[in-house]
Amino acid sequence: MTKILALAISALFVTAGAGFAADGKALVDSNKCGSCHKMTGPAVKTIAEVLARKAPDLFYAGSKFNKDWLVKFLQAPTTLRPAGTVYVNLITLEGDQDVVKNPPKCASKLSAGDAAAVADYLMTLTDASMKTGVFKKQDIKKAKARVVMMKDEACNACHVFPGKGGGVSCPTFEGIGERLNPDWMYSFIQNPQHWDPKVWMAKRDFDDATLQLMVNFLLDAD
Amino acid sequence: MVMKNIGLIFSAALIGGAMLISAAPASAKEKAADNYKLYCVQCHGTKGIGRGINAPALSVQPRNHVSATDMGQLTDDSVFKAIKEGGVAVGKSTQMPPFGAILSDDEVKEMVAHLRGMCKCEGKK
Repeated sequence: MTKILALAISALFVTAGAGFAADGKALVDSNKCGSCHKMTGPAVKTIAEVLARKAPDLFYAGSKFNKDWLVKFLQAPTTLRPAGTVYVNLITLEGDQDVVKNPPKCASKLSAGDAAAVADYLMTLTDASMKTGVFKKQDIKKAKARVVMMKDEACNACHVFPGKGGGVSCPTFEGIGERLNPDWMYSFIQNPQHWDPKVWMAKRDFDDATLQLMVNFLLDAD
Repeated sequence: MVMKNIGLIFSAALIGGAMLISAAPASAKEKAADNYKLYCVQCHGTKGIGRGINAPALSVQPRNHVSATDMGQLTDDSVFKAIKEGGVAVGKSTQMPPFGAILSDDEVKEMVAHLRGMCKCEGKK
């Protein structure tokens, strides 16, 4: 009888606990994330629409991001795009030199619990067309990857390489391995316009070996 | 019955194919000035003089598009090729990426004309 009572009480707590768990979707709505981020697809297809963009699209966040990183970011956002989401909207002149200073940061300041709930919800927003299990973890020669990425393809023209610097019109590679799903990195580098038809990253025709080299490098770029 | 099944399979394949095609976003044709703003300004700058936000990180100074002296040395064909296939295709820097997968040939042609308007010059014959 005592055992039955204990089980009943436990069941009650479990049920109540589930009831109290924050609802990620409700938090996204109440925090008005959709006022800056596009939360539903499809991606915009005109430059006018890109110029109106305030923050990165999140309707495929579950394909793009690593959940653990999202939980941290949602509590204390950092600047991932040194020149803002759409760099051209934020340019000012210093003499003849274009500059972007103090791009706006994500305003999210969620508690750990709420951040976990929002991350859980965001991880449900996936692009079913993305192939998973494509990326293969390999031991690569970083020096070779740097030649490909910084000399042959000049990725550093637009992206900051940790400790090496680089251009600022695209997201930094600092912390990228913690931030992004390697399968998504593979897919995005392979065809950036699949994800964002007007994105200013050019599509190249990389073979699988080159894509694997790049993504393996980015996973451990710091 | 067999024919009916084959028909159903074909229909399913066609619908599946159409869904795959529609999943790839189509890109709308844009005005050259708008394409310049989004794709070129990051390196060539808002004034077109090669002082874009990425320029300080580049090992080669981006071309000055308003310089009639510089732009007048280039043929329209070589400018077209550089935009479509990247700097390497015309013996220049890898830092100029290929925009052929973003811009249609018509858009590249219009971009060449736009650049000629910026430099107020004609291409080398």
